[in-house]
Amino acid sequence: MRYSQFLTQTALKHQTVSYNLLTPKPAEGDPTALIPKKIKVTPMRAAELVGPYTYVRLMDQIKAVVPLAAYLMLFQILVLRQPIDSVVSLCVGLVAVIVGLAVFMEGLNVGLMPFGTIIGDNLPKKASMPVVLIIIGILGVGVTFAEPAIGALQAFGASVDVNKAPYLWVLLNVYPLPLVLMVGAGVGLAAILGTIRFVRGWSLKPMIYLALIPVVALTLYCWPDPTLRSILGLAWDCGAVTTGPVTVPLVLSLGIGIASAAGKGDSSLSGFGVVTMASLFPILAVLILGIFVSLTLTPEQVVAIAANAASAGATVETTVWDETPLAEIVLGVRAILPLVLFLMFVLFIVLKSSLPNRMVTIYGLTLSILGMCIFNVGLSYGLGAIGAQAGSTLPAAFMEIPISKYSPIYPEIIGFVIVIGFAWLLGFGATLAEPALNALGLTVQKLTNGAFKKSMLMYSVAGGVSVGIALGVAKLVFSLDLMTLLLPLYGVGVLMTVFSTEEFVNVAWDSAGVTTGPVTVPLVLAMGLGLGNAVSAIEGFGILSLASICPIVAVLTMGLFIQFRQKSAVSTPA
Amino acid sequence: MAERNITYLSEASMITCVLQTGLAEAVLDAAHNCGAQGATISYGRGTGIRERMGLMGVTIDEQKEVIRIIVSEEQADRVFEAMYLAGKLDTPGKGIMFMTKLDRVATFIPEDVLQKIA
Repeated sequence: MRYSQFLTQTALKHQTVSYNLLTPKPAEGDPTALIPKKIKVTPMRAAELVGPYTYVRLMDQIKAVVPLAAYLMLFQILVLRQPIDSVVSLCVGLVAVIVGLAVFMEGLNVGLMPFGTIIGDNLPKKASMPVVLIIIGILGVGVTFAEPAIGALQAFGASVDVNKAPYLWVLLNVYPLPLVLMVGAGVGLAAILGTIRFVRGWSLKPMIYLALIPVVALTLYCWPDPTLRSILGLAWDCGAVTTGPVTVPLVLSLGIGIASAAGKGDSSLSGFGVVTMASLFPILAVLILGIFVSLTLTPEQVVAIAANAASAGATVETTVWDETPLAEIVLGVRAILPLVLFLMFVLFIVLKSSLPNRMVTIYGLTLSILGMCIFNVGLSYGLGAIGAQAGSTLPAAFMEIPISKYSPIYPEIIGFVIVIGFAWLLGFGATLAEPALNALGLTVQKLTNGAFKKSMLMYSVAGGVSVGIALGVAKLVFSLDLMTLLLPLYGVGVLMTVFSTEEFVNVAWDSAGVTTGPVTVPLVLAMGLGLGNAVSAIEGFGILSLASICPIVAVLTMGLFIQFRQKSAVSTPA
Repeated sequence: MAERNITYLSEASMITCVLQTGLAEAVLDAAHNCGAQGATISYGRGTGIRERMGLMGVTIDEQKEVIRIIVSEEQADRVFEAMYLAGKLDTPGKGIMFMTKLDRVATFIPEDVLQKIA
């Protein structure tokens, strides 16, 4: 606004007051007179403070959720010509997602992060290295439970057909807790190794190779067995799910604190690499769990269990605890509470230290539990529902499905192109909107002294994710085998890693984990499962894993290109 | 020996404005629209009011943006008021600003600009 406009709109009055009149004066016999008094906030002033505070935080989440949801809905109405089911509960769900995420993120920043910083700064001074590592490992499990996107995995387990994919069904329905525990153990191991790496200054390259060898070996073991093959998609997807807004900052703040206490915190790259490990080890952990289940149960036994559960479920009355919103609240509390208790245990018992601002921390913790509960409600009614709807109506573009009376809307080839194009655009938009990517871009630009521009990184990651999601959808539509796509891509990734410099390897392998946030993951998972059911594929997992490796390859390619250009610029005399 | 020259600028003031993060953009715009020629932004951490407000303190961001602008005395009041209004400093928690007189200012001043005023 221009100053002249200000003057026409507002009458500015001036008055001058001496500051002497406002500062505390020494008083005879009252030693506390000089200490500033507590400020009383009137309701009017409180509203002026709370208004902008909530507005900014809500806007952040609205920017992330609304464009994606609008894109899915408009696509469904305009291109697939299918009305949207239960619009009201969907919109309420989306509002819950926005509010829940905003509340949760604020709670995370105010309540949980100070724990991470204090513990990271003080733990290495007061405890020996093995104790530090054990604590970090347990913390890895805790943060995995607290990750909002993990709830999505459990929520979609019911949609798996037990006859087609028995072991997948068991993992998601009978063993959901061990599943998350194993994923958490993977993250914990990653956090431990990442911390050792910080302190010792190891290169990331050999760690990637060493982590990939057992993962690929177990994958190859499962691959020929048709009953085991169905868990591969889930296992590889778990890697992408784990690295979200709780794990990454908390583990990083601990790791960096420890590295600086050990005197090795000067490398600007030391923050990288944990995310990579945290997305590789859970794959391994889930594969081990799957193989363990397959050794104890035969597929026939699983089908029998499922039949029993189904008949039992019909007779057993659902208690109040299984109903919305109580079920979601229980889930939310169960996700956050263990992490909080553990952090408190470390802080009060191990470190014998206290929190600088107790009331604010309690406020933050309450917010994070509350936010998690609201987000869980929104997850099932908003994000999950909208993704599942879009997924299940997508095939109407190219084949006849019962729910759409116009289907097939387009000739087969055009229909395929539309569906794949839809997936591509979804990935591109969702990734560019991810705030974490922007932050990563800035870091990388600083790190490479501008050789790797922020926009270049953002577009290559977004391009990679979009190609990955499009590939994943194509995999479901044409029922391709996931591993014939994934393994060659990882092969290319490893090959390029060999030739790339350490900086680019760190950035590239981390960029994959950064892009899969709490909005994208449930949406893509639900869409994949819905689409998988509609085209009667065995399982709808695998999209996320493809969306993880493609940006790695994309960023590595970009890195090699930059290296090549710099070299040729040096060798040709100007 | 090459002869070098310093031009001192007099009648200059500095406006410093400490704001919650994220609010600086609007204030900078207002200052530029009133003829402020440049600004330096640095980042800092603020204490005081937040701690004395108890729980309400969480609504104020601890991270601050510090804007520093050098103005001529002729424009000083105009820029100061515009920044105050754009930053909504008449609402609680937004920030604080002050102006100080500067003894002398020196920087690169193009020849033609000097000739014009001579």
